[in-house]
Amino acid sequence: MYDDVRLSLPDTLDREVIFKRLERVLDPELDEPILKLGFVKSIEAESDHLTIELHLPTYWCAPNFSYMMAEDTRRELLMVEGLHDVTVRLKDHFAAGTIEASVNAGKSFSEAFPDEASEDLCQLSDLFLRKGYIRRQERLLRNLKNAGLSFEEIALRRMGDLYFEGESCLLRCSDGRICDLGTAEVAHQYLQRRSELDLDCSPTAPLIIDLRGREVTAEGLEEYLIRARTVRVSLQANGSFCTAVLAARKGKN
Amino acid sequence: MYKENGQEIFVVDGHMHFWDANPENWRNEYGEGWIRCFYDFHTALSPEEYVWPFEKYCKYGEETLIKDLFAEGYVDVAILNSTYLYEFYKKGFNTHQQNNAIKAKYPDRFILCGSFDPRAEEAGLDAFRQMVEDYPVQGLKLYTAEWRNGSKGWRLNDPWAYKYFELADELGVKNIHVHKGPTVYPLNRDAFDVADVDYAATDFPNLNFIIEHIGLPRLDDFCWIATQEKNVYAGMSVAMAFIHSRPKYFAEIVANLLFWLGEDKMIFGSDYAIWTPKWLIEKFMALELPDDIKEEYGVDITPEAKRKILGENVAGLYGIDVSVHREKLSQDEIGVKLAAGA
Repeated sequence: MYDDVRLSLPDTLDREVIFKRLERVLDPELDEPILKLGFVKSIEAESDHLTIELHLPTYWCAPNFSYMMAEDTRRELLMVEGLHDVTVRLKDHFAAGTIEASVNAGKSFSEAFPDEASEDLCQLSDLFLRKGYIRRQERLLRNLKNAGLSFEEIALRRMGDLYFEGESCLLRCSDGRICDLGTAEVAHQYLQRRSELDLDCSPTAPLIIDLRGREVTAEGLEEYLIRARTVRVSLQANGSFCTAVLAARKGKN
Repeated sequence: MYKENGQEIFVVDGHMHFWDANPENWRNEYGEGWIRCFYDFHTALSPEEYVWPFEKYCKYGEETLIKDLFAEGYVDVAILNSTYLYEFYKKGFNTHQQNNAIKAKYPDRFILCGSFDPRAEEAGLDAFRQMVEDYPVQGLKLYTAEWRNGSKGWRLNDPWAYKYFELADELGVKNIHVHKGPTVYPLNRDAFDVADVDYAATDFPNLNFIIEHIGLPRLDDFCWIATQEKNVYAGMSVAMAFIHSRPKYFAEIVANLLFWLGEDKMIFGSDYAIWTPKWLIEKFMALELPDDIKEEYGVDITPEAKRKILGENVAGLYGIDVSVHREKLSQDEIGVKLAAGA
């Protein structure tokens, strides 16, 4: 896994632990882990100080998203046992100097760019967490449709009807039938984001709720899915563009 | 023109550039960063045989452009963007003054886009009027992300932008091509937010807003806006380039545009010289939507839709009568050469 990351670690640090923490860092705009996207170029540590170099797809990647990724990377890695200091480097980015200096000093975004940012990044981060929710939900809805469930049936399902067996995700339907929804990852991702957004995850809550926590009715589900599909296509197309451009950029170094 | 089954398809490249990014023209590291980023786009998505060396990419010259567009690229008319970027390039990246040289030489082959920057405020209004008087400016290309004196960008619904739209309308410049890109001001906002398009399109119903690169990376937000506004169009450059290496995504993007906007609102563009029109158009003409996508979206791309997208839609926006224009083109220098070679 992640063979393209250049690693140099002392025996005291376990690469798996580091990867596990890094897997939590997402490109907020794409809702994908930066490790999977190939944005991590190298990780080097000496005793308790680790330096990680990120390589973003373009020189112009928006500084706000770049900041979030750098900040999240540092925060996650500082939680690794045995590490006391983490330095994040951004390779070939127009604002690398400012972002590195601020992130590595533990400063907030608005401290880093006092003239150009009017507030912190929470709102922006939230906007993309919400888009990611719709995308994750669309995948689940697609699996529900593929498993043969009608919109009426989907609208009746509650959170408590969903359960996992090993790598499989199963759903109890109204006639007592058990539906196989395929790989558990799709539902896990949906549930994780649903909980991150503080949406109701109790067993009696509807399985499909919108971003305001409201139940989506059987009549509303078709249009809901049509819109969700476009959100998914948009995020996927961006991810695809970014990885293609990054691969081209790496090829030249 | 593209010929298929004895039919001639009129092709307008809705979005192309004639830039000078020669290292001598770089003002600073941003000039280099800019063109290298474009070059990454070029190499990432072009078929291998269409990849240029970096030196050629920096400055390709008139002869190459004429060959790539008109001799080999099936293009009849090209919409020539003007992008200034004086903070990155000493003489500008491709200004309307520079672009006008090639426009003057082949007047029926190019539609020249000028621009404005609302941050020039009152003084800029006079300069804008002067530009429209002095140059055959038929459309505008707006670049909201451009840096200027410490400001890192502006929005279409800024009060000063509205004064320029009023003037553009008064002067008869109706087609506004908008590049949505990483406007980095204020930095904590979504840099690619397309919400300002909604305001401007509603408040200026006489103007047409062609959103270049279909709002990517905000395709979803763009679709919601374009569905509500009659005068918002999808400029398909950049998205087009997916057709080679990511054909499935491309098909799904097209299905989304057909579903939300319809075939009358979609406009082809190559973004030359980021990509060359020849392969884009050949692959687009060969495009068929996969059955699962057709079924799911309930749309299809017909030969008629392709004709509209490749030229008729934007020709309509610029008031080009295709049959009259074809006749003119057959008699200009390029047309005569093409006929002799055919």
